[in-house]
Amino acid sequence: MSDDVLPRDPGDALASVAALRRLADQLEDAAVEQAMRAGWGWPRVAEALGVTRQAVHKKHFKRLVAAGVTLRRR
Amino acid sequence: MIVADFPKYLQGVLDRAGDEARLDGSAAVEAQHLLLAIAADPASGAAVGALAAAGLDRAAIRAALDREFIHSLQAVGVSPATFDLPPATPDPHRRPQPGASFQLTLERTIKSAAGATPQPAHLLLGILQADVGTVPRALALTGVDRAKLAAHVQRTLHQPTSRS
Repeated sequence: MSDDVLPRDPGDALASVAALRRLADQLEDAAVEQAMRAGWGWPRVAEALGVTRQAVHKKHFKRLVAAGVTLRRR
Repeated sequence: MIVADFPKYLQGVLDRAGDEARLDGSAAVEAQHLLLAIAADPASGAAVGALAAAGLDRAAIRAALDREFIHSLQAVGVSPATFDLPPATPDPHRRPQPGASFQLTLERTIKSAAGATPQPAHLLLGILQADVGTVPRALALTGVDRAKLAAHVQRTLHQPTSRS
């Protein structure tokens, strides 16, 4: 990333980090749901995200059940 | 306006703030969710009046927060519109937990009340006293003078009221 893109004010830079985290959370929810609707299993979603199977299951299982997504066991 | 039962008022605001966090897809209840909840709650009394005088009803605050989000992403060259995934289905059972800015707000609220029973205006002051973070940035982008607004809120606390 070039120096032109980096914000100069520390408050701006820190706010960008907070906004990126929020965007990443929103994207994770959307992308995991899309993958599970497409028939992916937890291990594959976890490996693609770079997190453990337990972590992805704990974070998304209840939400996807409530959303009516048919979940594969493996 | 004096709220006789502050814990009850606070519980109502917290419930509403939790709903705002859920709507936001946020895992935590933050100061911005409290601000939205205060603005939408008629029981906030003078605090709502002070916000309204600055042009801040719930919808205006929501718009300011959305603007801050887009602005902060643009600062690092990211546009949320670039990602065209269908949005995730909101989780009706998710119970967002109090976040860091929420806890700081409560600490500042208690400090503002200085030993007295806190009022809705103290809670609003607790939010407005933050110099950095999402709320002050959103207000600044909207052109709201946060110090002036805080001073207005402070004045509502000193108006003579009859205690019941």
